[in-house]
Amino acid sequence: MTTMRRFCCNDLLRFTDVNLDHLTETFNMSFYMTYLARWPDYFHVALAPGSRIMGYIMGKVEGQGESWHGHVTAVTVAPQFRRQQLAKKLMNLLENISDNNYNAYFVDLFVRASNAPAIKMYEKLGYVIYRRVLRYYSGEEDGLDMRKALSRDVEKKSVIPLKRPITPDELEVMINRGDNWFHESAHLLLTFCIICFFYCLPNFYVVYIC
Amino acid sequence: MASKFGLAGGIPERRVRPIWDAVDSRQFKNALKHVTTLLSKHPNSPYALALKALVLERMGKPEESLSVSLKAKELLYANDSLLMDDLTLSTLQLVFQRLDHLDLATSCYEHACGKFPNNLELMMGLFNCYVREYSFVKQQQTAIKMYKLVGEERFLLWAVCSIQLQVLCGNGGNKLLLLAEGLLKKQVASHSLHEPEALMVYISVLERQAKFGDALELLSGKLGSLFMIEVDKLRIQGRLLAQADDYAAATDIFHKILESCPDDWECFLHYLGCLLEDGNIWCDEAVNDPVHPPKFINCKVSHLTDEQFDSRISIASDFIQKLQEDTTNNMIRCPYLATIEIERRKHLRGKGNDDNLMDSIVQYFCRFGHLACFTPDVEMFVEVFTPDKKTELLGKLMKSSEALSTPPIKTLGLSISLFKIQQLLLGGMFKSSIGDLELSCAQMSEMYCKNLPLSKDLDPQEGMHGEELLSVTCNVLVQLFWRTKNVGYLVEAIMVLEFGLAIRRHVSQFKILLLHLYCHFGALSVSYEWYKSLDIKNILMESVLHHILPQMLVSPLWTELNSLLKDYLKFMDDHFRESADLTFLAYRHRNYSKVIEFVQFKERLQHSSQYLVARVELPILQLKQNADNIEQQEGILESLKCGNHFLELSNEIGSKSLTFNEDLESRPWWTPTSEKNYLLGPFEGISYCPREVLTKERETNLQRDIEKKSLLPRMIYLSIQCASSSIKEHAKVNGSVTPDVFSEMKLLLERYAQFLGYSLSDAIEVAMGLSSGGRSSVVSGSNLIDWLNFTVFLNAWKLSSHELVQPDRNGFRPQIWNILDSLLEKYILEKVRSIEFQLCSPWSDFQLLMQLVTEPLAWHGLVIQSCLRLCLPSSKKKKKSESVYQSSSNLAHAITDSVQHLSNVLEQVIEWLSKWNKRPEDETLENILFLLRKDGPNNGPGKVFHILETFISSMNDVELGDHISQSLKSWSPADVARKIMSGKLKVLMEFSAICESKLKLLHSIKQQIAQL
Repeated sequence: MTTMRRFCCNDLLRFTDVNLDHLTETFNMSFYMTYLARWPDYFHVALAPGSRIMGYIMGKVEGQGESWHGHVTAVTVAPQFRRQQLAKKLMNLLENISDNNYNAYFVDLFVRASNAPAIKMYEKLGYVIYRRVLRYYSGEEDGLDMRKALSRDVEKKSVIPLKRPITPDELEVMINRGDNWFHESAHLLLTFCIICFFYCLPNFYVVYIC
Repeated sequence: MASKFGLAGGIPERRVRPIWDAVDSRQFKNALKHVTTLLSKHPNSPYALALKALVLERMGKPEESLSVSLKAKELLYANDSLLMDDLTLSTLQLVFQRLDHLDLATSCYEHACGKFPNNLELMMGLFNCYVREYSFVKQQQTAIKMYKLVGEERFLLWAVCSIQLQVLCGNGGNKLLLLAEGLLKKQVASHSLHEPEALMVYISVLERQAKFGDALELLSGKLGSLFMIEVDKLRIQGRLLAQADDYAAATDIFHKILESCPDDWECFLHYLGCLLEDGNIWCDEAVNDPVHPPKFINCKVSHLTDEQFDSRISIASDFIQKLQEDTTNNMIRCPYLATIEIERRKHLRGKGNDDNLMDSIVQYFCRFGHLACFTPDVEMFVEVFTPDKKTELLGKLMKSSEALSTPPIKTLGLSISLFKIQQLLLGGMFKSSIGDLELSCAQMSEMYCKNLPLSKDLDPQEGMHGEELLSVTCNVLVQLFWRTKNVGYLVEAIMVLEFGLAIRRHVSQFKILLLHLYCHFGALSVSYEWYKSLDIKNILMESVLHHILPQMLVSPLWTELNSLLKDYLKFMDDHFRESADLTFLAYRHRNYSKVIEFVQFKERLQHSSQYLVARVELPILQLKQNADNIEQQEGILESLKCGNHFLELSNEIGSKSLTFNEDLESRPWWTPTSEKNYLLGPFEGISYCPREVLTKERETNLQRDIEKKSLLPRMIYLSIQCASSSIKEHAKVNGSVTPDVFSEMKLLLERYAQFLGYSLSDAIEVAMGLSSGGRSSVVSGSNLIDWLNFTVFLNAWKLSSHELVQPDRNGFRPQIWNILDSLLEKYILEKVRSIEFQLCSPWSDFQLLMQLVTEPLAWHGLVIQSCLRLCLPSSKKKKKSESVYQSSSNLAHAITDSVQHLSNVLEQVIEWLSKWNKRPEDETLENILFLLRKDGPNNGPGKVFHILETFISSMNDVELGDHISQSLKSWSPADVARKIMSGKLKVLMEFSAICESKLKLLHSIKQQIAQL
C-alpha cells in the first residue's frame, strides 16, 4: 500500500512519526531544502492510505567521470510500517533513478563498521564493501563505503574493493567554491560530513550518511 | 566586466584567499588582520572594504560593519572607472543581508546593472536580490531581460515562475497566467523545451487555467518524452483527463498504472473515482489542507444509473481480483484493501451489504492483522457500521483469529490489533463496564509480560514486540480515571509506561503519553524532561511543540519556557532568513516546481499560529521576569519599541489567515487539541476517539487571543507612563506627553474592554462592582486574568487623570485602586483556599493562581514602582507647590496601603506553598503507592500494577535475556512515585520563589516610603 511520490516541503510537517524515532536525525532546514532544490528526484516519500507517511529516502547524484554515482543520504521507515520491506522498495527506487534517469555508474552509501546487521541487509540488496573510511563517524568509528554497480558499469569496475583504507580527508567532497551560497558553508559542510552518523539495523531501516 | 581570471574584485586572489579561509574557519581576528593589511595596499578597493565589513559583521559589530559597507557602496557609485564585478557585489550583498538591509544590496546591483546593462552575471545577481525581497514583478522583468539577452530556456522559466508566484503568492490575478502561457508557447514553437521541470511548469500553468485539453495535447506530443519515467507521465495524464471529465480515458490510464504498481493506494482511489465518474478526489486536493489530509475521500452521489453503477463496480472487482491473483509478494496490501473500499462505495450508494463489507475486513485481518498498521488501515471502513454491527465485526474478527495458526510474533500482532480495534476503534473503552475494562487492561499487560521473551535477542534500540499493548493499556486506564475520578488509575497508567521505558528507553509514543499524564498531576518539570528526551529540533518543533508549550506558558518554569520559545523562534527566523537563498538555489538548478513550493512553504510557516503565539509570548515572558525591577522593565520595553510593534501586530492579526501545522495525531485521546482536555470535565461518554478539529473555530479564537495579548506590552508601558504622570504639576514640569498617553491608554482600554464583551464605560462599571460581589458572575476562569489586567490598566489610567490631587471619599487614593487591591486579594486567596493538598488537585486552578500573581499583580507592582519614583527625593527637581506636595503625600499613603495589602496576600500564598514542602516524603510516597494497593487486586486500580510486580518477582533471567532482565531489576515503583511528587514540588517551589521575589520588592518599597 505504498504510493511513492516526490517529497515536498509540506511533508516536513507530516513526518513526525518517522522522525520521532530516536535513530532518525532531523536535519536543519537548509539541509532538506538543498536536497529538494538540487536533487528532487532523489527525495521520495512512501505514503499509506490516508496519506500517512510510511518512510522516505533522500539522496543525491554526484561525481566526475566514472565516479558519477547516486548516493543514499538517509532512508528511514516509521515504526508501524517496519518489517514490510519498505526500505528495500525505497532503495530500489533510488537505484532505478540513478540507473535510468541519471545514467550513473553505481550507488553508494556509508555504514558504521560495527553495524553488522545493516551491512548484512545491504549485502542482501546487492551492495559490497568498497572501502573503509577511517574514523569517519565523529572521528571515532570507521565507516564502510558500500557500493552497488549499475548497468552502465558493465565490467563492475566501481565495486572492486580498494585494498587500503582511506581517511575522511581523502573523500571527495563536492564543494563549489564559486557558488556563493556554499562559500561560507564549505567548512561547515566538511565538518558535518565527519560528524554525521549512520546507524542501521534490518528492521530499523534508518540510514544517515552525508 | 566580470572578474578576470586570478583576480578577485581587482585584487590578486592569493591575497584574498587567507581572508576567506580565516572567515570560513571562524578566525575572525585573524581575518581582520589580513583585511587591514590588504586595505593598506588597496585603500579604495570596494572589494577589500566589503571584506572588512563582512569580517566586522561576523565579529558582532553591526554598526561598524554597516558604515564600512556603506563606504564601499559609495566608492562603487562614485568611480565609474572602478571594476564592478559580481564578487564585490555578492560579498557586499552578503553583508547587507546579514545586517537586514536587503534594499541596499538591491540598489547596488540595480546601479551596477544600469552601468553595465548587458552583463548577465550582474543581472543574475540582481534577480537574486529580487528573489530575496520576494519582488515577483521585478524578478519577472529581470528574467525577461536576461532571456532577451541570451535566449536561454532557463531564464524564460525564471520569468514564468515569477509570474506564477505573482498569481499564487502575490496580488497578481489569474489573467497573468495567459502571459506565462504565451511566453512558453512561443518558446516551444521556436526552440521547444528541454527540461522535464520546464514541461511540468508549462502543464501547471495550463492546469491552473483549467486548460486540461491543451495540457494533454502537450503531454501526448513530442514534449511528453521529456518524462523519463513512464508512470510519472501517466499519473499526470490521468489527472488531467479526470479533470477534463474524460473519465473513461482516465480510468484506462489508472488501470495501466495499477498493473505496474499494484500497491499504489492513491492510484487505486483515482481509478475507482474515475470508473464511478466521481471527481471528488480532485476537488479535495484543491480544497484540503495538504498538511492535514482527510483520512478518506468523500464521495459524491453518483449520477450513474443503478445498472451502470453495478456494472462499473463489477469491472473494478474483477480487476482487483486479477491484481490479487497476479500478486506474488505477500507484503502488497493494496488489492486487498481495495476490496473493502469497493464494498464501502456500494454501501454509500445504498447497495451495500454489511456482511460483505465485514467479510472483506475479516479477510484483510487474516492476511495483515498482525501488522501494526492494520488498525489505521481499516479505520475508515469501520465507521460505516452501526454500533451493533461493530460488535458483530469484533466477534467475527476474534473468531477468525482463533482459527488462525501463526508463529508467536504474528499471533501477538493479531492480538494487539484485536485490542486496538476493540478499545480504540470501536469505542470499547468508552462503552464497556469498568470491570470489563479492568479485565482488558489486565489481559493486555499479562500478554505483554508473557511475550517479552520474544524480544530477547533484539538490539536494545530496536522496537520491542508487543510494545503497543502498554500504550493501549495506558489509554484505557486514563479512561477509567475519567469515569471514576479515581486518581489511582492515572498513577497506574504512569507506572505502566515507565515500566515500558525502563525496558526500552526510546519509545516516543510512551514519552508523549507520559508528558501529558505528568502534566495532569502538575509535575510539569517531569513533563518537560520527557519532552527534552524526545530531542525535538528544527522543523519538528513546529509540529511537536504543542505537546508542551501551552502548559509551559502558564507555568512558573520560566527558564525552561524561555529556552523553548527562543529555540523555536530562532529556528523559524533562521529559516525565513535563508529561505530565499534556497529558492534561488532551486532556480539555479532548474527545479522550477520547487521554487513555487519553497515560497509557499515559507508563507505557510510565516502564518503559523504557533509562531505568532511564540512571538507574542516571548516578550510577555520577559516582562513577567523583570516586573520586580522597573528600571530593567523599562529597558525591556525600550527594546520592544515601547510595545508599538506588538500593537501593530494586534491591528493586523484580524486580517491574517493562520496556518495550523501541529501534528495532532500524536496527541492522546483525552486532549485532542491543546485547548481541550476531557479529563478536566465530567465523563461524557464520547463514542469514539474524537479527532475532528474545528480549524476555523480555533483560528478565530486564537486570533482574538493573540490580538489581545499583543496589546499587553504597550498597555504596560503606558501604565508606567500614566502612573508617573499621576501628579499634575509633575507632569508639566517634566514636559510629559500626558494627554497623548492618557488618550492612547483610553483607546487601548476600549479595545481591551471589547475583548471582555463590553464598552469601556460598561466595563468600568463592572470592574467597580466586582469587589462588592455585585457583578462577580461575569468573571469566570477563562476571563479572570483579563478582568484583573483590565482593572490594573484602568487604575493606572485613572492615576493619570489626577484624581490624587482631589482624592475621593476613600481617603488617599482613587476608589479603583482600592477595588483592585481587594480583587487581587479576593481571587488569589480564593484559589489558595480552594486547592486541596491532594496528589491530583485541579491543576488548572493552580495555573490561574500562578497567572494572577505573575500577570495582574506583577503589572500592578510596576504601577506602584512607577508611583514610588514620584515620591522619592531624587524626583523633586523643583520646589513643590502645595498641591503637588499634597498629591505626593497622598500618593505615598496610597502606596503604603497597597503594599501592605499585597504583602499580606503574598505572605499567605508563600505560607500555603510551604505546606506542600513540609509533607514528609516517605508518607507521600506511601500514599501514592497505596492508591495502587489499598483494595487488593480485585477492586479499583492496581490490577495491572500487581501483574507487573508479580512478573518482576518471578521472572526468568534466562528466558528474558540479560538486557531485559537487568532493565527490569532497575525499575522501581517508588522512584516513579517520587518523580510525580518531586516534579510537582519543583513547580510549586519555583512559584514560591517568584512570590518571594515580589514580596521582597514590596518590603523594599515599604522601607523606601518609610524613609521619606
